[in-house]
Amino acid sequence: MKHLSEEELIELYYGEGGAPAVAHLAGCRECSAQLAELQRDLEGARMAAVPERGAEYGERVWETLRPRLVPYEKTVGWHRFFGKGWAQWRVAVLAVGCAALVAAAFAGGRYWERHNSGTTNVAGNAGPQAKQRVVLVVLTDHLDRTERLLVALEHADSSDHAENAQMQSEARELLASNRLYRATASNAGDPALAGALDRLEGVLVEVANDPNLTAADLQRVRDEMNTEGILFEVRVLLARTPDQGSRLKPAKGASI
Amino acid sequence: MQGSDHSVVRAVLAGDKDAYGALVRAHSATVFRAAFRIVGNEADAEEIVQEAFLRGYQRLEGFEQRSSFGTWIYRIAVNCALNRVGRPEIEAEYRHGEESDPEEKTVQVATQDAGPERVLLSREIKAAQEVAMQRLTPVEKTAFVLRHLEDRSMSEIAAVLGIAPNAAKQAVFRAVQKLRRELAPLRGTA
Repeated sequence: MKHLSEEELIELYYGEGGAPAVAHLAGCRECSAQLAELQRDLEGARMAAVPERGAEYGERVWETLRPRLVPYEKTVGWHRFFGKGWAQWRVAVLAVGCAALVAAAFAGGRYWERHNSGTTNVAGNAGPQAKQRVVLVVLTDHLDRTERLLVALEHADSSDHAENAQMQSEARELLASNRLYRATASNAGDPALAGALDRLEGVLVEVANDPNLTAADLQRVRDEMNTEGILFEVRVLLARTPDQGSRLKPAKGASI
Repeated sequence: MQGSDHSVVRAVLAGDKDAYGALVRAHSATVFRAAFRIVGNEADAEEIVQEAFLRGYQRLEGFEQRSSFGTWIYRIAVNCALNRVGRPEIEAEYRHGEESDPEEKTVQVATQDAGPERVLLSREIKAAQEVAMQRLTPVEKTAFVLRHLEDRSMSEIAAVLGIAPNAAKQAVFRAVQKLRRELAPLRGTA
């Protein structure tokens, strides 16, 4: 059995022992004897009784002390509030001022960058690389949809007016999106991409605005406007990596 | 009491010097008791009372209204006493009393009907206690007095002495161990 240490016994004496120590003490004669010995030692160490000090003692102390005290200056309200720790207030005000300056510089920098970039794009406030990635994803999706539409039109039954109407509706949606992407590419200084999208727009205009679009009509459009070539061109342009200067420089050998 | 103490402090800080007298009257006895128990004689204890209230007045602007003025001035007094017991001449003057305080349920070492041998042993025990107390460092002595006689908690002692609670506990442990070590040779004959 592990007995209580002297420190644990001292804690018990001062009523600070933990429950395990108390439990051990209850079942251990040796530790109980040790504690009793400690009590004898410590209670014998009570020192001199404190001399009594009556009610007049405080008055006597005050009378001795009073002449040595200099009154505080009479200040009230906000004067005291600020006067008490003006140095601390100055530090606090300075810190807040610095924080405001940093925040203003950051916000100003952000505004300046956005204002001078001259890009109005679909990627919102993201950084250049993030914007590029978003544009790539969105444009790829747009091209996929356009390609699927052209394939569907190729195999469509021209007598099924409901189906044709649905596909033309899809073509109009793609047309609106295509215009937006073309404008974005143009504003971003990417004439190659803008040109390709412009040619694709011509295809979509044809499809969207022909009320009696047949497979033969579609084939004519595909042949005359080189639809597959346009789609390929756009995909090549999109495949460019940012370090190749895709945003501003036209892709070499990408024109059809 | 604490609320009225705070209003008195505000009055003093507003320029009413005499309002401080109420605080001095209210807390002098407590401060004296603590000081006496640490330094061991009346003259020094009274000087410490004066010094503590003077320092308290001078630092009153730093008194935080959320704490008790009594506790605050007590801490100042203990620190004044601690500074004083650090001086060798005071160490030499440190005395243990010849009698114990019945209110604190102490055990009389010497009984009224003790024989000559018993009285002699009692004197030896007191001498050993005195030697032990003199061997304590000022912090150990103050921690021991605050815990053993003033019934202050370890956290209060730590706050008063400006040390960690565990350090305060260790100071009390060391003081008790030193005291017991001096008493050990007499234990078999007591």
